[in-house]
Formats: sequence, structure tokens, C-alpha cells
Amino acid sequence: MIEGKGISKEFRSGRGRVQALADVSFSIETGKAVAVVGKSGSGKTTLLNCVGGLERPERGKVSCFGVDILSLSGKALCLFQRRNAGFVFQYGNLLSYLTVFENVAFPLTLKGIRGKGKEKRVQELLERIGLPDVGAALPHELSGGELQRVSVARAIAHSPKMLLADEPTSSLDSTTGWNLIELMFDMGKEQGCTMVVSTHDPEIIDLADASIHLRDGKITKEDR
Amino acid sequence: MLPSLGFWIKTAFLFLFRSGRSTAVLSLMLLTAVATLIFLSALAVGISDAMIRNSVSLYSGHISGFALPQALKRENLFVEGVTNVLKRLSRYGILSNEGRIETVVLIGIDPLEELKSAAIWKKTLKGKYLKGRESAVFLSRPLAEKLDVEPGEDLRFSSGPGAASTRFTVSGIYQTGIDQLDRSIAFCPLAVIPAGAETWSAAIFLEEGADPESVISIYHRALSEEYDFKSWAELMPDLKQLVDLNYISMGFVTVLVFGVVSLGIACAFVIFILKNLREYGIMKAMGATPGEMALLIVAEVILMNLAACFIGVLVGVLAVFVVGKTGIDLTAFTSHNRYFTVSAVIFPRLTFYSLGLPPALAFLGSLAAAIWPAVLVARRKAADVLRIV
Ligand SMILES: Nc1ncnc2c1ncn2[C@@H]1O[C@H](COP(=O)(O)OP(=O)(O)OP(=O)(O)O)[C@@H](O)[C@H]1O
Ligand SMILES: [Mg+2]
Repeated sequence: MIEGKGISKEFRSGRGRVQALADVSFSIETGKAVAVVGKSGSGKTTLLNCVGGLERPERGKVSCFGVDILSLSGKALCLFQRRNAGFVFQYGNLLSYLTVFENVAFPLTLKGIRGKGKEKRVQELLERIGLPDVGAALPHELSGGELQRVSVARAIAHSPKMLLADEPTSSLDSTTGWNLIELMFDMGKEQGCTMVVSTHDPEIIDLADASIHLRDGKITKEDR
Repeated sequence: MLPSLGFWIKTAFLFLFRSGRSTAVLSLMLLTAVATLIFLSALAVGISDAMIRNSVSLYSGHISGFALPQALKRENLFVEGVTNVLKRLSRYGILSNEGRIETVVLIGIDPLEELKSAAIWKKTLKGKYLKGRESAVFLSRPLAEKLDVEPGEDLRFSSGPGAASTRFTVSGIYQTGIDQLDRSIAFCPLAVIPAGAETWSAAIFLEEGADPESVISIYHRALSEEYDFKSWAELMPDLKQLVDLNYISMGFVTVLVFGVVSLGIACAFVIFILKNLREYGIMKAMGATPGEMALLIVAEVILMNLAACFIGVLVGVLAVFVVGKTGIDLTAFTSHNRYFTVSAVIFPRLTFYSLGLPPALAFLGSLAAAIWPAVLVARRKAADVLRIV
């Protein structure tokens, strides 16, 4: 279970203060796929970052599978992330100086998995995403859709408990995006991941188990 | 279990290797600095060598032996590192020419052996240097002027007023530009020197780079503690200081250059890293710790610098080797300098100092240069980095 209670996050910038999240509370059941929906600037990215520990809210509580991640110190949080979280961003997910294989293997190595076991796992994943032959390629040699598929494989490689995807389809055309979301949800379910996906795309909402609607940093609607 | 050091070093290597062009451009500054400073340090060593070589080869040798007994043979002094030993006998007395008299030191030398090692014969001003066993003298110019003699004219030497005198023909007149030699000194072949004191003195010449002090200690151990040997450094403290000064100023230059180069590398690396900031943001989002990020950056800087140092050393050594074959003629800058009386050709030479100092400082500098970029990356929040498009 992923739980947020009274999360508030404020940014100070050239525009003055922006309340990106204002007293947001939600709970996501383990193993479910949840869509976070809202207009641009509504706070979707900020919410995902707070759940994944990339951003620290001023107020509130974030608990992932019983761990209060805001209470974790810097290094403990890093170790928590490398074991339990996988991220897919909007674009540019892969390390450009590492091959596809090395990219997918990266979270495995971070977790301490090496040798044959690691190689087998990476190859399995590449086959699962339908790109068995791209291991030796560098990211710039792949298409946008292929890149996002590899990103999903990497985010899931180390079997994290949660998969956080921030508008993973927004750089893709609709069919490719649709296929990617299906693949991601299927693979996430196979691994037993709890998934949180932010999107503009109403079709994704239909595929998800539940959805959280944001506007100006506040939750306007929760569907189950 | 955390991934090993090796994983981060390998990742650093892949980053550098796959961004080959950036890496090459970044390395260029360090490579050039290392190569240049190796060459300059070797040149500094070469200049010191030349000053020592000039000073010792003119007359005194690397080691001078004083008041050596007849029992000690010249042959006994040939030990490891010694290339030649010149035997000399001194007689104090009076040289006279038609009423002009001067107190002098008459020094008996072996003309042929002296030709091999000492260079005073190159300083012949008029007439000829000594040869063989003829009853001739080779005078300093001030002495010849005081006695008003020219080559070919005769002089008489006696050990004191009223003592028996020996006739010598002036074979040549020399001028070295060094006060200690341009005094009342006259040389003659050992074979014809008048009888006198039993002791002799030695001028001992060593191979390039051999340490006079260790040769002296061999003499003291193998022969006798009593014998009086002094190295050129003891006899010419001014030259010793000049050589040290030469090294120290070169050391200063090296330290300063690498200070500047390290700052340059730090700046260039910061730009390199800012350009690739997203990569580090992604790693952080995957849970890489600030320590691991810092390790990665330090490994990148060190790997790049090791490679640049390695190539720089090769280039520097090559330059020293090429220039060392012919040497650099600095006569125009040294003609009035008493430390370059014989030859002003400089041969750059690699020593532990000239080869070791530049890369060592470059390495230390690169460690320092890694701090800023490492801190920069370790402190940046992944969320902020990833927001940048
Ligand atoms: N680091 C920051 N500095 C200043 N303002 C920020 C920062 N991060 C977010 N904001 C602001 O907070 C608000 C919420 O931003 P957020 O990125 O979460 O929106 P979003 O729903 O993800 O939008 P989009 O769909 O365009 O990605 C926005 O108004 C944004 O300008
Ligand atoms: Mg966003």
C-alpha cells in the first residue's frame, strides 16, 4: 500500500510562490495500477516525485509499503529507491553512454545482482519487450517508441514494488503510446508492481484500476 | 550488497570512452602540460649538467684529491663510475725572465691524459698546449704578461732564491676566465717537473649522473679514511647553489602550471558534467547514492588524467630523446658566463625529478580538480536535474 497524507509542496521561482500540491491525501492498494490525471501544471510530476522520494514535501506523510520514506536519511532513501522503485520519465530515460543492455542491467547491478543471473534477466526482458536484438545498441540508435519500451524494461528489471511513470507516452503517437501502456501494465502486473502513472490521456484512465484527478495541486476526484 | 568499486570505474571508463571526442579535447590541455613540463624539467637538468660539466671538465674533475701519498697509485682510484684520474704534482717556486720574477705554482701534469678529460687545453690563447716529455710550460695569460713572455721564449724555474734552476720553453698561453686558474700558475709535463714534495693531487672524472659523494665513500672504505677527497659541490658551493636554485625554480614553475591546469580541468569538467547532468540525474533517480556519484566523477577525472598523463609522458620523453641527440646550443646566452666556459650545448636529460615530478603533480592536481564537479553532482537533486529539458 502506498499512502499519502496531507502532502503539501510549494515552489519558489521567478513567478513567486507556486503551491504545486496542497494538502493531498490518497491511498493506492498494493498491486494496483493508478492513473494520475490533470492538466499541465496541476502537480502530477510533483506528486509522483514525492511518492518516489525524489522530492521532499514541506508537510505531510508518505508511506510506501509500511516505510515512512520522509523519515529516511539520504543514503537510506537511496537504498530504499534502488530496491523498491522504478521510474519511467517522459523522455530521455536511458544513460546515453551505456548500451541498451548496460542500461537495463544498471538497476540490477545497483541491487547487487551480477554475472549469469543478471545477463539472463536482461535478455528475458529484452525479449519480453519485443526487442531481443538491441542489447548492443546505444540509445541514440533507437526510435522513440523503442526507447520507452527499453525504459519500461529497465524500470522493472530489479522487480521493484512500485513503478512510477510520468507521462511515459506523451512523446509517442497514440498507437505506439497505447501499446506501451499495455506492455507496461502487463509487465507490471506480472511482477506484482504497484503502478502510478501520470497522464493527459483519457484512454489510459480506462486501462487503470483507479485514477486520481488533480487540479491546481488539489485532488478533485478519485475513481476506483 | 552494494556494487563494487570496479563497477563505477567501468562505468566511468565507458562514459569517457563513448564520449571520445569530448574526452580527447579535455585531455589535450593536460597532455600538453605534462609533455611540456617533462621537456622543460629535462632541460633544467641539462642546464645543470652543462654547468657542472663545464666547471669540472675544465680542470678540477668531479672529485679532487689533495696531498695523496706516493704509496697510493693512480690506478687504485679507478672504481665504479670513475672515467679518468689525472695525477698532478705541485711545486712552489719562482719563474724568472730577464730580471722579471714571479712566485708561481708549477703543476706537473700528464699532457695526454689531461687531453682526454680536462678541457683547459681548449682555452689556449697563443702558442700550443704541452705534449709528451718536452721541457715546456703552459702559462696563464696574467702570468705571461707579468713575465713579459711569448710562446717560444725561455724561462727559468727555481724553488727559491739561490736554488738551482731549470730551463723551460713557453709552449703556450691560456685564459679560462676563471680567477682560480688565471693566476700565477704554470703547467709542465710530469716527466720534467723538478724534484720536490712527495704528495700528489688527483682530478677524478665521473660518468654523467654518478654521485661524487658515493665514490668518495668508496675511496674512504676501500683505501683509507685519511685521504682528503672533496667533491665539486664542496669546492664550488656557488655552483652547487646555482644548480639547486635551477631545480627549485623549475619546481615552482611546475607546481604553478599544474595549479592552473588543474583549475582548467576542473572548469572544463564542470561544463562537461553540466552538459551531461541528466545522466547523473537518472542514476540518482535509480537510487545511486551521493557517495557513488562522487566516486563516479572522481573515477572519470582520474581515468582521463591518467590517460592524458601517459600520452604526455610519451610525448615529453620523445621530445627529450630527439633534442637530446643534437643538444641545444645556448652559446649566445652564455658567452660571458663562467659556468659555460667550455661548451654551451645543453642536452636535456631525464631524471627521476624531470620525469617524475610533472606526472605526479598532474595526478595530485587531477584529484583536486575532481572535487568541484564531484560535489556539484553529489548535491544536485534528481528531481531538479530531470526537470531541465
Ligand atoms: N522546481 C520547481 N520550481 C518552481 N516551480 C515548480 C518546480 N516544480 C514544479 N513547479 C511548479 O509546480 C506546479 C506543478 O508542477 P508539475 O510539474 O508537478 O505539474 P504537472 O502536472 O506535472 O505538469 P505537466 O503535465 O506539464 O508535466 C507548476 O505550476 C510548476 O510550474
Ligand atoms: Mg509533469
